[in-house]
Amino acid sequence: MDILNILVVGLLLGGIYGLVSIGLNLIFGVIRIVNFAHGELVMLGMYGAYLAYATLGLDPYIAVLLVVPALFVVGIIVHRLVLQPLHAESNMQIFATFGLLIILQNAVLAITRGEGFSVPSKVAGFTFGVGDIRVTVSRLVIFLALTATAIALHLFLKRTLIGKSIRAVTQDRQAARLMGINVERTFTITFGIGSALAGLAGVLLSPIYTLSPGIGGNFILAAFAVVVLGGLGSVAGAYFGGMIVGLVEAFAGFYIDPELKQAIWFLIFLVVLIVRPTGLFGQVGAEEVGFREQN
Amino acid sequence: MNSDDLATADPSPNRPAGGILPWRRVALLYAVGLLVTLVPLLLLSRNFFWLNIITYTYLFAGLAVAWNIIAGFGGQFSLGHGVFFAIGAYTTARLFLDWEISPWLGLLPGAIACAVVGPLIFWPTFRLKGSFFAIATLAFNEVALVLANYLESVTGGPRGLQVPFRAAFKNMIFTDPRAYTVLMFVFMAIAVGISIVLMRSRLGYYLLAVREDEDAARAAGISVIQVKLRATALSAALTAIGGGLFAMYIRTIDPLTLFSLPDIGVKFALLSLIGGMGTITGPVLGAFLIIPLESYLRAVFGGSGPGVHLILLGFVMLLAALFMRRGVAGAIDSLRQHWRHRRSA
Amino acid sequence: MRGAMAALCGIVLAAGAASAQQTLRIGAINPYSGPLALYGDEVARGYQLAVDEKNSRGGVLGRKVELVRGDAANPQQGIAAVDQLVTRDNVDVFIGTYISAVSNAASDAALRHNKLYWDTNAVAAELTERKLPNFIRVGPNASIFADTSVRAMVEMIAPGLNKQPKDLSVWIEHEDSIYGKSIADIQKKLLEGKGVKVLGQGAHNFRAADLTDVVLRTKRANPDVWLLTGYTPDGNLLLKTSREQGFKPPVILMVGTGDTPETLEALGPEFLEGVFVVSYPRPDISEQFGPGASAYLAAYRKAYNRDPIAPQSLTAYTGMRILLETIEAAGSTEVEKVRAAAAKMDKPLNSYPSGFGVKFDDKFQNTRAIFTVIQWQGGKQVTVFPPEARGSGGSLKNTPRKQ
Repeated sequence: MDILNILVVGLLLGGIYGLVSIGLNLIFGVIRIVNFAHGELVMLGMYGAYLAYATLGLDPYIAVLLVVPALFVVGIIVHRLVLQPLHAESNMQIFATFGLLIILQNAVLAITRGEGFSVPSKVAGFTFGVGDIRVTVSRLVIFLALTATAIALHLFLKRTLIGKSIRAVTQDRQAARLMGINVERTFTITFGIGSALAGLAGVLLSPIYTLSPGIGGNFILAAFAVVVLGGLGSVAGAYFGGMIVGLVEAFAGFYIDPELKQAIWFLIFLVVLIVRPTGLFGQVGAEEVGFREQN
Repeated sequence: MNSDDLATADPSPNRPAGGILPWRRVALLYAVGLLVTLVPLLLLSRNFFWLNIITYTYLFAGLAVAWNIIAGFGGQFSLGHGVFFAIGAYTTARLFLDWEISPWLGLLPGAIACAVVGPLIFWPTFRLKGSFFAIATLAFNEVALVLANYLESVTGGPRGLQVPFRAAFKNMIFTDPRAYTVLMFVFMAIAVGISIVLMRSRLGYYLLAVREDEDAARAAGISVIQVKLRATALSAALTAIGGGLFAMYIRTIDPLTLFSLPDIGVKFALLSLIGGMGTITGPVLGAFLIIPLESYLRAVFGGSGPGVHLILLGFVMLLAALFMRRGVAGAIDSLRQHWRHRRSA
Repeated sequence: MRGAMAALCGIVLAAGAASAQQTLRIGAINPYSGPLALYGDEVARGYQLAVDEKNSRGGVLGRKVELVRGDAANPQQGIAAVDQLVTRDNVDVFIGTYISAVSNAASDAALRHNKLYWDTNAVAAELTERKLPNFIRVGPNASIFADTSVRAMVEMIAPGLNKQPKDLSVWIEHEDSIYGKSIADIQKKLLEGKGVKVLGQGAHNFRAADLTDVVLRTKRANPDVWLLTGYTPDGNLLLKTSREQGFKPPVILMVGTGDTPETLEALGPEFLEGVFVVSYPRPDISEQFGPGASAYLAAYRKAYNRDPIAPQSLTAYTGMRILLETIEAAGSTEVEKVRAAAAKMDKPLNSYPSGFGVKFDDKFQNTRAIFTVIQWQGGKQVTVFPPEARGSGGSLKNTPRKQ
């Protein structure tokens, strides 16, 4: 039966969208930065995997251990140098992230000439079938990684001290500061984590796609849509929002027309937002200043 | 030109007391400002390279001003204005190609269409706040892009529309490129003029009130939704006119060009942002900064290495954001405050 | 008096010598940034090699040739590039352009400056259909692309499958911009004209994050031949996805993409074995078919320390060579003179390294510009069509593909 296969395709695609968005969700939800350069952070993760392969011969699933911390550091630097000085002007932050996008894309273009690299992996392309359903290891890994990351992130925010300070800062900056939390440092760490998550997505995506400096742009719109659809700052929101987008795209693409699938899920996205302006899992008022609860 | 005096939306505590200038003073500042922007044209009118850049600068200044009406003054950060731009472009081109309607007239149907379509699509999304609204408007752009590609009979599909070069005043096609520059200048002048008149009218004050605090405005008896819809209609109509002018200048339009976010939809926002959102002069200043810079960098460094000129542009953007936090208009303001202080000290 | 005359003669001679030494500048408009930057750069490399070669033989009309690049990734930038190259760099003619929409706008702008626009790589039909007075296309176009793919299918692949065209079924897939669409529309018409069954025509966005829907829909139709026109990102993703989803058509025929190391790296030689690609002629075609091709390859390797990534550069090189010859024949860079000289040119097929000949029709499209078809064999791209282009050992492999 085709329909089961499409279902699985949609869920796995949702895994891709979710993994790309989970870092953006954190940054957007906590620091309230519209980071246009998020797609480029994913792109850097991909090229990081390629670099690890080209210089050290590493399989991308091993390269994760190098690339993710590297992106964490990149995130810290970007936030400290560019975004933090602009924390009072959110509009300028948007402009700055756009400048960052241009720099990152074109730096990679200048270095690589735009050649379409591939990152080979011993296991990633392997596909197994269960009846009519076909599952590819690379996509399954992404799905599992997303699930694991979502759970880990949830626990991190709930149980660890840093996680709690992130939540505190999200709910009420002034109160957090009064309680002795270093708000600026918390923001920087959050941005670092969000960038690391983008890097994770990049590395895990590298066996699937042909790399190009502009590949971040392929995902950024979907990532924003997923974040907004899921509800600001909600980890579950990014998770299930991604699933929904993936499923709609897969079904619309197969049963209606691959040319129209983007328009279709964007339309559904708009309809959902109009009906529920805070997103599916968002708290009412969350998108305003801070939000009251995050369970 | 002091952006404060022209009833800006800059909520800084440094706004001078005693507020608003009389009309005559405003008209004078407007005329002087326009003359200043005319200088590059007068100086460089024989250099085709700069002429082309100046033409685009005027056009995009006008478009950024139009965007600013709903985004800067109205507080609704739209990234979907590319839709209005495209409607204007397609309408003007189609009417000219199929029915030989002079673009001077053909600009209007597109503007009217957007004055209706704009409020129609923005209305349900107005309940979204801030960045949510911005991302929803991005969705409009993407849906419209897919539709423009798909509906071949209307838009020419991926091939788009090509307007052949039949020079005549009534065709809005000129052999002398300076005529285009003047045309775009007039567009910019009209857009700025409308902006000034709007922000000194009751609708303008209501708009600012709504932007600052919707609930308070509602409590004061302002119909928030009506105000926003009217501003949207105006903003969209002006943008459509700009799109029509673009179509007659470049004479080849296709979905990829019109719906390109970095070149069109997001660019309107970027120009206003760096120039100073919510000010009259900001979008114009932003256009005059970014467009010549981008074109000049591309001309000089475009052949050097892949993407080199864009790396430079990106760095300029970063530095501009870091060192001119309230935009160019804000930076100019700060300088004036500085001089005032020094004089009075 | 005599002194003054001598001085005057001296000045005139000096001025003459100076203008004879004045360089002949050619503005090369291509995307050197953006998603197609790699191909823009490869094309410009081809131009440069032709220019260097000509200069080493004394230049054109006694003048040294200089190439100046103008970056343009969209029509707006194309017009700006023309203005820039005319005003700042004083170019005499234009050459280009990897993107058809850019070529369209730029050539129109070049006309306002009364300069020739010589196109080597843009394929859209209307570039020559619109009969712009300053435009000449020396390279092949979308019709030739489509035609070559259909002929390959009917004359080579159908026999390879032991089938008549009327028993052959095809699914036409293409990326949804003007490039893919124009080629696919012509393919459909030509195929139906030959009696081939067209099971369906599908379009996709070349930047899509997922193309499983495309593969599954095609799998459902179960064609003999999967005809695929696109770019590298979507081409690679479609091939990978077909492997994952168990879609194994007997023949895969790609158009415009799939013949570079980028695809070999992505899919590996075993999977690619037997895949056909219609593309620009490669530098490793036989010397008979493309005289000078191996010399070109050697020159590229020497200048850039690697093999060309994309065969587009050879077509660009050839196009530039023909331009320089035409300018010489015309004795000038003026539009009317060059067009007149071009109209008179008549060189048979296989005169140039890319296998081209020269014969312009009344719309100034070179009718002797060609594409070739390669088949991946043992990790190498072997030219298999037209039959004259085959070297030794160019028989078909893995056709139909092993299931």
